[in-house]
Parts: sequence; C-alpha cells; structure tokens
Amino acid sequence: MQSSSVSLENIQKDFPILQRTVRDGKPLVYLDNASTTQKPIQVINAISDYYTNHNANIHRAVYALAEEATEAYEATRDKIAKFLNIKNREEVIFVRGTTEGINLVAYAWGRQHIKEGDIIVTTEYEHHSNIVPWQLLTKEKGAKLEYIGVDDNGELLLDQLDSYLKTGKVKLVTFSQMSNVLGTISNTEEIINKCKQAGVKTLIDGAQSVPHMKVDIEKLGCDFFAFSAHKMLGPTGVGILWVRKSVLETMEPFHGGGDMIREVHKYETTWNDLPYKFEAGTPNIADVIGFSAAIDYLTKIGMDTIRKHEIDLTKYALEKMSQIKGITLYGTKDLLKRGGVISFNFHDVHPHDVATIVDRDGIAIRSGHHCAQVLMERLEVAATNRASFYIYNTTADVDKLIKSLEKVAELFKL
Amino acid sequence: MSDPIYTEIIIDEARNAQNEGILENPDISQHDANPMCGDSITLQMKVNDDTISDIKWHGNGCTICKACTSVLTQLIKGKDLTYAKNLKKEEILSELGLEHLIRQSPVRIKCALLSLKTLKLGLYTYLAKKIENSTSFDNLKEEASKLY
Ligand SMILES: Cc1ncc(COP(=O)(O)O)c(C=O)c1O
Repeated sequence: MQSSSVSLENIQKDFPILQRTVRDGKPLVYLDNASTTQKPIQVINAISDYYTNHNANIHRAVYALAEEATEAYEATRDKIAKFLNIKNREEVIFVRGTTEGINLVAYAWGRQHIKEGDIIVTTEYEHHSNIVPWQLLTKEKGAKLEYIGVDDNGELLLDQLDSYLKTGKVKLVTFSQMSNVLGTISNTEEIINKCKQAGVKTLIDGAQSVPHMKVDIEKLGCDFFAFSAHKMLGPTGVGILWVRKSVLETMEPFHGGGDMIREVHKYETTWNDLPYKFEAGTPNIADVIGFSAAIDYLTKIGMDTIRKHEIDLTKYALEKMSQIKGITLYGTKDLLKRGGVISFNFHDVHPHDVATIVDRDGIAIRSGHHCAQVLMERLEVAATNRASFYIYNTTADVDKLIKSLEKVAELFKL
Repeated sequence: MSDPIYTEIIIDEARNAQNEGILENPDISQHDANPMCGDSITLQMKVNDDTISDIKWHGNGCTICKACTSVLTQLIKGKDLTYAKNLKKEEILSELGLEHLIRQSPVRIKCALLSLKTLKLGLYTYLAKKIENSTSFDNLKEEASKLY
C-alpha cells in the first residue's frame, strides 16, 4: 500500500458529478455514501475504454479482442485477491452485489448443509439482504433463525451468541462487519474465533466495511465474505463473494448455464473448475473492469488514510450535530468502534420532512428504514435520517449540513 | 422563515392532527403502507345507514402524510359513502395549499395521498363484501368501477 501522503484535499475534482448543482443552482453535497458512492473519472474512463476499444465476450473466443477482455476481467480477480489478502484467486466469485453473494451462499451452501432443527444466527442490525435469504432457507428446511441483540450503544450483545453456540445446533453465524445504520464496527475477530472453536461457519457482510477500512480476509479466518463495488467508487452491478476453498468444494452450483460447465450431454453435465462453476452466463465484464480502476484509486490513497479521514470527519460532525436543538444521535460515541455513518432523528419531525428540507439546500441524505426494519423495531422508531461520509466529503460539507439542520429545528420550533 | 411545503398551516395540522386514535368494532378497518418511505397508517370507520358516522386513524407518517390524513378524516366524517368514494385528491391538497406537490414532487405526493389510497381500498373491500352477501357479481363490478 502507498504512503498516506496522498492528499484528499483536491480529490473532489476527480468526481465529475460533484461539480454539478441541484435544486436551482445549489452545489451538490453528497452524504448518502452508505447507500452508494460517486464514481471518479478514472472509473468512468475505464468502462468507456472497455466499450470503445476492447469489447468482446470472455473465456470463449480466440481472437485478439476476446483475449484482451478476458485478461482485463481476470486481472481484476487477482487485484481483489491482493487488496483483501486472499490467498487463492479461485475463491473470488464475481456476483451482482452483496445481496446476490449472500443469496448464493443460502442457496448453494445452505440447501446442501442446513437440516431440520439447525440454527442460523444473524443480528438485529443486519441489512434485509442478510435476513430475508435466511428466512427463506430456514422456512424451507424447518430450521430456526435467531438474532444477536443490539444494546443501547448500538453494539452486539455477544453473550447471546454464546448461549446460541451452547445449543450445539448452530451451523452458521452471519453478520455485517459494519452496520449501515449505526456505523457500529462488529467485534469481528472475536465472533469468528468463538464460532471456529464451536465448529460453526461464519459469513461476513462486508458491504460497509471494505469501502472504509483495511480488511484482511486471510487474517479474519471466516468462511464466506460478501461486498459490493458500488459502495467503494466502483460501478453498480458488481460484487464479490469470497468462499474458503474447502467450503466452496462442498457446494453445488447456483445458476446453471454457459461458462459454469465442463461438458454438457443430454442428461448429464460436469462442472467447470472453481470459481467458474459459480459464474454462469456472460458476466458484467465492463463493470468488473471499472471496479478494477476503483480499487487502484483506493489503493493509491490507502485504506488507512481513508479510515482516518472518516474518523476525523465523524468526530467533527458528531460534536456539531449534538448541539442542534431537538436532535437524537444513534450509535456509540467511541469513534474507534464506528464508521462514518450517522443516524439521527429530530424530536417529532419525521425523517422524510428533514430530508426534504435539506435537499432544498442541495444536500443528499437518506431518510427511511435503510433496509434494516428489524433494527428500526429495536430502536423503536419507524425511520431515521442518515448522513454517511466518504473520501471526498469535507468539513465544509458538514458545516452546510449543520446549517440546514438548524433550519429544520427553527421551522418546526424545536 | 418561510418554506414552500412546511408552512405553519401544515406543521400545525400535523402536530394537532384530528381524529387520531383507535375505534372499537369498526365496520371498516384498512391498513396500507408506502414501501418506499415506510409511512404506514390504519383508517377505521363506523358506517350507519351508508353514512360514515365516525372515523379514526393511527400509524406512522411524516408531516405531510399526517396533515393530509387529518384533513381527509375531517372532510368525510358525517358524510355518506358516495361522497367518500368520490373524494378527489385536489380537495385534500387545496385545504393545505399543497396542490403544487402533484407537479413538483413525485416522491412526496405519495406521502400526501397515502390516506386517500387507504380510504379507497377500505371502501372497496367493504362494498365488495356487502355486495357479495346480497347481489350478483355484475353489481360488484359496477360498484367497483364507480369507485375510481
Ligand atoms: C450492510 C449492507 N449489506 C448489504 C447491502 C446490500 O448491498 P447491495 O444492494 O449492493 O446488494 C447493503 C447496501 O445497502 C449494506 O449496507
């Protein structure tokens, strides 16, 4: 990884969309990065270059273009392996996103290994994509879904995990490394170690962690890991599912079709090697190549620099926001235990009203349940507002948000 | 400070929303939600001689949703079912000066009209049941077509 001397100061100029204005000439302030991030010109150019100069289907033809396309696509797999310290490139499977990655595990591993009476453990702060696939699977198999609760600080109640593990029936523990609502960073190593000792498999939803902090999959020691390119400067429609090879070898295919086969006869088919067995059909070649440029961009800045920038920005924002009349801030105050995601509410003002008012100042924040209705129930709210940061956000952006939020307090006479 | 949506009228209407609560043994009880934003409300009505003799609502909505629901319940309380069936969105929005939402905010208009949608759904179901019990399917279809 490069030195942390790369300056974030002029980084906004790499993002064409950040130059535009919205709502009658207001400069765009984009604070919905937990949902999706903006794309630097390097990523946009990589996609455009692929379609302009190299477009061909991969893994099939022998002509020059096909070779170039295949090479660029496969080079991205190697780049991802290096980025996350993954030893075997055949453990890296291209999917559409975190959601498809988790569904692949539920289908191709879960249907094979989950039996009646088994328990799958998830947490109260999961995204719907790490709840619904397990509801579907456990219903089909007569298995049970259990939840690790969240305390008032927004942290997981790990003694609940202990009691689930004690039953001896748990087959999988699945949780996000960083909550997309509270920003809480899970005690990932501790959970994985407990599960390992109990012989239980672990799935990490890295949708919020990989974009914002250094992740070392080899060191973590989990069995499944999923994340999305679009939350880390890359294009939509690309994600990664990593599966430990020894586990991958016990899994049946997910989708059937081209590319995933070795030989097809009328009634029998043999499967292609890993990871191709799990990549049926023509993949999203252009966007995988675009993702490659995003990883280059992040690597050049350095994940530690990104993390530090977001800690600083979150600290600044939390201090200022806590002074606004009528505001409630969710999540831990310990900056080392959270990412740059701030959920908040205003007394009796609905989040949609807040988001509408700040939108008029050109500020994009999210309001709603953030695909985490189980957590909303736990917090006893219907919805929250959420501001989430990335490398191109500055204290000036936070200042604008604060000014706009003060307007809310004033309009609603809080 | 002035704001095109969040006028004092609307904030006051939402903060002092009328007819909020729960009805015992309602003749009509209809729940609906807006999956995009999570607004969700339940409308309950008592019907006597084809007149809405009482109406209450409860749920979770934004300022716009609450204000419009409050206005809707005031408009139809004590009126007959035909009036409720024919209630137009413009009638509700104009009470609050929100007509501009139709053109300007495709997202927030859904908040404003959730209660109207819920009302029509509830009436439809109520009338369909009544008709099923007494007359033919053709009548049901006719009634339903008049509803929208
Ligand atoms: C924690 C978490 N998990 C999963 C997802 C789903 O990701 P995607 O929609 O890219 O599949 C998201 C994104 O919203 C998320 O924040």
